[in-house]
Amino acid sequence: MPPITTALGVDTPAEVAARCQALIEAIEHLAPSHILWLPSSTLKSVIDHVERRAGEGVYVSVPLTREEEGIGIAGGLVLAGAKPLLIVQDNGLGNALTALTTFAQPYHLPLLLIVSQRGGLNEYNSMIHTLCERVDDILGAADLRHFKLDERVPVQRWATSVVAAWEHAHMTHRPVVVLCNLLY
Amino acid sequence: MPPLSRFDALQSIATEYPTEPIVVALGTMVREMLLVGRRDNHLYVLDSMGLPAAIGLGIALAPAARRFDKVIAIEGDGGLLMGFSTLATIGLLKPEKLLLVVLDNGAYAATGMQRTAAPAVDLCGAAEACGIRAHNVDAPEDLEAVLRGSHRRPGPALLRVAINEQNRSAPYFLPDPVELTLTFQRYLAGPTTSPLAAPASGLGAGLRGKSTPHGPAGTPPAAP
Repeated sequence: MPPITTALGVDTPAEVAARCQALIEAIEHLAPSHILWLPSSTLKSVIDHVERRAGEGVYVSVPLTREEEGIGIAGGLVLAGAKPLLIVQDNGLGNALTALTTFAQPYHLPLLLIVSQRGGLNEYNSMIHTLCERVDDILGAADLRHFKLDERVPVQRWATSVVAAWEHAHMTHRPVVVLCNLLY
Repeated sequence: MPPLSRFDALQSIATEYPTEPIVVALGTMVREMLLVGRRDNHLYVLDSMGLPAAIGLGIALAPAARRFDKVIAIEGDGGLLMGFSTLATIGLLKPEKLLLVVLDNGAYAATGMQRTAAPAVDLCGAAEACGIRAHNVDAPEDLEAVLRGSHRRPGPALLRVAINEQNRSAPYFLPDPVELTLTFQRYLAGPTTSPLAAPASGLGAGLRGKSTPHGPAGTPPAAP
């Protein structure tokens, strides 16, 4: 039996990297026109990939200033027939709630948000849990459809789940959130 | 007191840009624009204060914007300050089509003319610091001249228009927002060859994308 440690979490860096790679595969399959993002330490390799691919002209990469700005820009892109994708952290979802519930939802704008989830076991930031551990409840109360990817979902299912969530957003004409807990 | 009213400014914008996409901010702005006339090329943002500049930016970034001289977003000074950081994103991305018009009366009109922080801010200076060309407009004739000259001038640009505190009486506008989405999407999509064709972002767009991946430079629809 391996020694019990919480310093680096239960999962190995390789497992975390495999989850990031699955998200990258999903993004490549979806072929968004624009990817709008805020920084995330757990999704750093995903965002680095987005920036590199945008440099190759595959899509447009947009660093945001705030989450609600991302909902506005992505909503405008959808109205004009483009295919945006958002990547943010869950501790910033509070910033986006008004934009999601007064614009994306009532105007029936299909958006996919890949959201890194924080505040669980092995979280190192003591200030992040207050909002993050309530994100599921907050999204539910706002009637924002969301799906969860965590250690209970085999990594082989992550990419297909993200692609299915994108299709679900378009089929149901609304924003959909995929909460991704990469650390455990 | 500035000679221009909000209604005057909205009428000038709608007249100068009768076929370009125009994003109209919530409250008094939407209601007075409807007095000018309801148009398919206008997106009426019924709430979401602070978001119209970002929405206009999104439209201006899309390939569909190539069909138009400009994509216009009309904001109030309070709304601009609420979404102020979007000026930085506009400056970073530099969408050539975007024209952001800020009707500045220093007040939140829809809630009873409470004051904003705008009198303390050089809005044009802030825009220019973000890399956005900016103009101050105070007189009606200046607004018409600046709008007329803006068609072919590459953006992004911000027009700060000083307006007085006159508010026109206008009824509430309470449509189903889905209706606004569909009307505006169809307008942006342009003429279609099939009456069954749906907007690209409608049902099945993601599904279609599965087998037909494409990059950022999609083919814009034919010019109207």
